[in-house]
Amino acid sequence: MKLETGNLKLGSHEFGSRLILGTGKFSNTETMIRAIEASGTELVTVALRRFNREKPDDDLCAPLAKLKNVTLMPNTSGAMNAKEAVRAAQLGRELSGSPFVKVEIHPNPHHLMPDAIETYIAAKELAADGFIVLPYIPADPVLAKKLEDVGCAAVMPLGAAIGSGGGLSTADMIQLIIRDSNIPVIVDAGLRAPSEAARAMEMGCDACLVNSAIAAATDPAAMAKAFALGVETGFAARNAGLMPKSEVAVASSPLTSFLG
Amino acid sequence: MKSKIANRQSSIVDLPSWLDPSPWLGKKFSARDVEQALGAESPNEDTLAALLSPAAADFLEPMAARAQALTRRHFGRTVQLYVPLYLSSYCPGGCAYCGFASDRDTERHKLSFEQVETELAALKKMGLEEILLLTGERTPQADFEYVLKCVELAAKHFHKVTIEVFPMSGKEYGQLAEAGCTGVTLYQETYHPDVYPEMHRWGPKSNMLERIKAPGRALAGGLRMAGLGTLLGLSDPLFDLIALYRHVRHLQKTRWQAGLSVSFPRIQNEAGGFLAPHPVSEKQLAQIVFAFRICLSDVPLVLSTRESAAFRDGMAGLGCNKMSVASKTTVGGYGDEGSEEGQFDVNDNRGVDEFCAMLRARELEPVFKNWDEVYR
Repeated sequence: MKLETGNLKLGSHEFGSRLILGTGKFSNTETMIRAIEASGTELVTVALRRFNREKPDDDLCAPLAKLKNVTLMPNTSGAMNAKEAVRAAQLGRELSGSPFVKVEIHPNPHHLMPDAIETYIAAKELAADGFIVLPYIPADPVLAKKLEDVGCAAVMPLGAAIGSGGGLSTADMIQLIIRDSNIPVIVDAGLRAPSEAARAMEMGCDACLVNSAIAAATDPAAMAKAFALGVETGFAARNAGLMPKSEVAVASSPLTSFLG
Repeated sequence: MKSKIANRQSSIVDLPSWLDPSPWLGKKFSARDVEQALGAESPNEDTLAALLSPAAADFLEPMAARAQALTRRHFGRTVQLYVPLYLSSYCPGGCAYCGFASDRDTERHKLSFEQVETELAALKKMGLEEILLLTGERTPQADFEYVLKCVELAAKHFHKVTIEVFPMSGKEYGQLAEAGCTGVTLYQETYHPDVYPEMHRWGPKSNMLERIKAPGRALAGGLRMAGLGTLLGLSDPLFDLIALYRHVRHLQKTRWQAGLSVSFPRIQNEAGGFLAPHPVSEKQLAQIVFAFRICLSDVPLVLSTRESAAFRDGMAGLGCNKMSVASKTTVGGYGDEGSEEGQFDVNDNRGVDEFCAMLRARELEPVFKNWDEVYR
């Protein structure tokens, strides 16, 4: 029996895999490509600043563009504000031909926490300009709704800081985002283990975006496959109907027997 | 590392309190202290002092492992490359250790704008994408207008242009940012108030507090990135390194959008035969890099071609995530023959291809372009 995966719908596009991969931090392009293939992902994000048309062996865009069944989603990593992110998105679209953009604005280049205010401004402008916008955001349920209202195709709250391997440290907030969202919710950043990806999917996330945990693994391709299985398992478990959790044992002599 | 002059605190009061390293000098650390520092959840000056202590010299292997893990976590299995281009060797400064000091009997050179173009074209052909432009202190030969024009020329070809020149006004830094300059490198050389004047005998650089303020001014003026460092060998390394760490932390708190990096230049055989009064060995340098990676896990750490090929090979990805490559410290020298004597000796003379092959063999990806001109 094949596990239920369903399609991930982003704008007018559908993807068979619910795992999205980041492409930074790999030891070489071949390792990155093997990981992407092993994961079965159909959507990968790549930083505009790593596009290098003048030096093919330093360029991340061209080898990704050659992959069949994989859509490119340029990201604006490096942008410090909305203005820069919009410029980067436009250039990314021009160079890659992809309508997708991951809006990523982190004005502090050390902890890389997303700027909610600038992200909102950029996302609104890019959505109005016809982009399929996936913003990387703090796990803030109010911001998530505001981004939905301005036409984002999904929201991508962080599970923990980029590269931290902190897991789903924002789980409670992500649950609130999921509860009220009409667009896909994708956990982006922080995931360290496939079990955490499974947990995110069980909670109700629509997809997971993973980079560091795969790129920094001893065997990135094997880890990519493991994450794919984690995502698939969590999604299938959610669809199968998880048993309700209860901290109270059911008493053999019911407390309400007197009610008849 | 021993703090030989830890007790000479009479003039330390000259340092601002946010920089003063004296509370961390002269402390004794045990093996247990080092173990605790290695596992510190929120590293601070105490952690750094413990990891720089003689006791930590017995923990190089676990420090290296932790440094490697943190480097991978924040920067992946990559090493970012950059190249320096010396524009001019004119200098009014009296830095005792520098091959371009004004009392050195060396022929002075300056690249014409045409020569700058030739050099830029040669570097571009080598595939390099991040360029560091260098001069001495401000001179009529290489003044602000000259640097500005060189930045403009470089920004036409390179996505990332940074400078290591003389400290400027905030307005001038703003003009450079407009012209396409992303960052500034400004080494303090030494933070020790007694040693600083001995090493910077005359010229604009002899004003120690002015130099300390310059990186903050550059960031306030509009540059995004600042590279800090001390010239290891000039003074008590513990004094300088704690102060350096505190300088980085201060800028992180006061200029929260700044991208900071730390370099570890070390005096070996300077041009002109200057001998380091406080020599730092390769082992000590490795310990210093590991300690900084553990205490500043998300700050890029830089190692230049001052160091030997073997040492750089070993340190790649092991704390350091950014390296210069194919460097010449003579004025020019990439496109045409450079001048004869450089600012300091280069100990790793490998070309771009050879260096990248080494990185790839170590399963590290050389990254040439990690910035884009749209972010100017």
